[in-house]
Amino acid sequence: MSIQEQYRKKAAELLSSGEVKLVIGYGAGTTPDRRRPLFVRSADETSKLHLDAACEANLSGYLVSEGLLADKKKVGIFLGPEGIRSVNILASESQLDPDQIVIMGFNREAESVSALEGSNVRDFPAMLAALKEQAPGTGEQALVERIENMTPEERFTFWQAEFEKCIKCYACRQVCPMCYCRRCIVDNNQPQWVQTSSHTLGNFEWNLVRAFHLSGRCVECGGCDRACPVNIPLRLINRRMAMEVLDAYDHFSGMSPDQETVLASFKKDDPETFIL
Amino acid sequence: MIQILLRDKLDDCITRWHAAGYDVIGPQKNNNVTRFAPVEKASELDLEIILPDRTVKELFFPQTEPMFRYRIGKQTIDTEEYLPPGRKRIIFGSRPCDASAMAIDDPLFGWDYKDAYWFQRRNETVMVTIACTASDDFCMCTSLKLAPDSTLGSDIMLRPVAGGKGWHVELLSERGREAFDRIEALLDDSAAEKEPIANVPKRFDLDVCREWLADPENFESHFWKEISIRCIGCGTCTFLCPTCHCFDFQDEGDTYSGIRRKNWDSCSFALFTMHTSGHNPRSTQSSRWRQRIMHKFNYFPGKFSMNSCSGCGRCSRQCPVDMGITETLQEITKVAK
Amino acid sequence: MTEKSNNGRQNIYKPAIMKIVDKRDEAPGVKTLRLEFLDPLDHEMFKQHYRTGMFGLYGIFGEGESTFCVASPETRKEYIECTFRQSGRVTSSLANSEIGDLVTYRGPYGNRFPIEEFYGKNLLFIAGGIALPPTRSVIWSCLDQREKFGKVTIVYGARTVADLVYKHELEEWQNRSDIDLVLTVDPGGESPDWQHHVGFVPTVLEEAAPSPHNCVAVLCGPPIMIKFTLISLQKLGFREENVYTTLENRMKCGVGKCGRCNVGSVYICKEGPVFTAAEVSKMPQSDL
Repeated sequence: MSIQEQYRKKAAELLSSGEVKLVIGYGAGTTPDRRRPLFVRSADETSKLHLDAACEANLSGYLVSEGLLADKKKVGIFLGPEGIRSVNILASESQLDPDQIVIMGFNREAESVSALEGSNVRDFPAMLAALKEQAPGTGEQALVERIENMTPEERFTFWQAEFEKCIKCYACRQVCPMCYCRRCIVDNNQPQWVQTSSHTLGNFEWNLVRAFHLSGRCVECGGCDRACPVNIPLRLINRRMAMEVLDAYDHFSGMSPDQETVLASFKKDDPETFIL
Repeated sequence: MIQILLRDKLDDCITRWHAAGYDVIGPQKNNNVTRFAPVEKASELDLEIILPDRTVKELFFPQTEPMFRYRIGKQTIDTEEYLPPGRKRIIFGSRPCDASAMAIDDPLFGWDYKDAYWFQRRNETVMVTIACTASDDFCMCTSLKLAPDSTLGSDIMLRPVAGGKGWHVELLSERGREAFDRIEALLDDSAAEKEPIANVPKRFDLDVCREWLADPENFESHFWKEISIRCIGCGTCTFLCPTCHCFDFQDEGDTYSGIRRKNWDSCSFALFTMHTSGHNPRSTQSSRWRQRIMHKFNYFPGKFSMNSCSGCGRCSRQCPVDMGITETLQEITKVAK
Repeated sequence: MTEKSNNGRQNIYKPAIMKIVDKRDEAPGVKTLRLEFLDPLDHEMFKQHYRTGMFGLYGIFGEGESTFCVASPETRKEYIECTFRQSGRVTSSLANSEIGDLVTYRGPYGNRFPIEEFYGKNLLFIAGGIALPPTRSVIWSCLDQREKFGKVTIVYGARTVADLVYKHELEEWQNRSDIDLVLTVDPGGESPDWQHHVGFVPTVLEEAAPSPHNCVAVLCGPPIMIKFTLISLQKLGFREENVYTTLENRMKCGVGKCGRCNVGSVYICKEGPVFTAAEVSKMPQSDL
């Protein structure tokens, strides 16, 4: 049985037994290469669920939509490794109760998917430990290193050209599971911390604020990068910050629901090289 | 008489237009995004794409533009206006959907009060549009009763000739006359077959949708919540929409001097309609998506006799969660029948 | 498109500059500013266009613009008065301005109360809290030509005695024999020396029981008060066509372009802010 069949069946069981009230998965998209988030509430709709290599989106952000988990009922969700890490972070930041989440986990390879054993977010320590060993990812390392080797002026020019394209649609924020703030700092106007205009300065401000806010929290799911309608390589910023955090604090985000949040906790032996 | 602009004369065209004082602007790929930018040579143009990632809208209504610089003194406030520069321009190679969208927004920006920023740019711009001979799964102009060769909003229409050698040239408006005259000598009158225009299938029944939307009963329909449940509330569809025209004013500076700007804004954002009191008439994402659809296919046509959509399909093509106008109107077509 | 409808400006977004000539505290957090145009041409345009019911965008450069009604009547066009509650960035800045300071103004925009149609009729004004200002503009438009109207009744309520605005004018109206003024505060909002009603506006209105015969009602207040007062008016026999109100929504441009103030297909800035209750009831209620 394919993993798609296996998870359709599991979703149907979860729904008909009443164990979960909802399954968040992937449905067919407009074109064959697209998959879209799908919300399934009854067993007879589970045949609409898809699971294949086109299922790229990290769906965990939907878990913190307003009120979804307030009734304490469980929700089933299709999650790749990044999604599992996101749920861990959301739990460690008290945004959800991890035991309310029933995971149908999968690993995505180039052309196929394979099942991840387990259904609670605590069930994946070996997979997560292996991920940490690989970190930080491999795919984009060449580009990260290229930017790393630039002079500060070249690097500034590179990002200036990228941020100049930004139209402040906030797709990066809206698609990000970590951007759950009810009111984002850019939406405050008393005081106006960040300029809302999408000129290059305002765009720099926004993207830097977001980079800092995601440091030690981003799971590199690539959602912001894929969502960006003007193709700013946002993953590179977050990758760089993740490398920094790993290096300085040996912190790899989303290892468990009990993991301390790296920039909101203090240890006596934290490096303090940034204090002049 | 059929007149053909041969592709290898395009550089001469641009040179002549430049000599006549026109800026020439066309679609170019830069930094992984295709958008309209000034061109010097034909080789910079990216004319083979279905349509650019970003629309021509931003050439008339930029994502951010300064309106005034203010300086506040003891007894005075000086305001210096930044109106558009007043340079003649030719936008070369926009698609009929984008060009139509500019004409669709004209009555809105002129509704009793004229928006000088919009009309100054409109008046100084000649739209040279290229009819589409290719489309993708998201194009939907025919569903909007437009076509891959609609002339709405265009001043000069180019229709590709078979073999990609060039284009049939048709002058459509007085505004385009000077630009046309400048290149007329370059045109070739040899007969050439036009390439058939793109076959864009009809994706939904607009009349059925409009009737359904106009029925007050359907305003509260559960449909809106179902269709928008995966909407994440970003501004991609509105900012990449050639007809979406909503904006915000923002002051940058301090209480002594600074700049008041006009910025794109989006009905997708929760803050868009939020009162200072905290009351928000459109407090849910489903009410915001409903507003967007209602505005385009019910309110706007009621006021200006046109749909506020030209069928470019960018909303669906670029949506991070694969939503869009097409899906919604397809579903309405289904439920209405 | 005429020059006139652009209020004489090529650029509709360019504000006029006005000077604060008077500033009054009305209630906690509520202030009234009286403004005069610096440029006589701007003033001339205002005088030509302003009719009671229209609104303006008041602003401070560096902070932005905020929309509220013109609280002074069309019978007094030498100045503009606006009354607002200090709540957001712009209103806070306006509230902190002093006499002599300069502010910006765009307008007047929107539609008006059809006051000529009220001639010969009895008038019932009902307002709650901070919504007296739009009502007050109509009240003075009528009082300044008092002979053209029949009986005038004003029912005004606020949460507490302190929250009543225009206290001096309330006193003036109280002392006039040609106005019936009914004042009330919500239960618990009364002060020890409060001489008037205690109760919610709809209840007090039903007790006062003004006759619907040949009467036009002008009703302004917070949504919840409007909702219940409309029920009371219906009980008293008022037809929705004879009840006028003003709607407010967040606005940026004020001239039908920025896209946010519509309720259903109706743009408050262009087709409002003055509507009859019959018109409001046709709007999609959840969009209000």
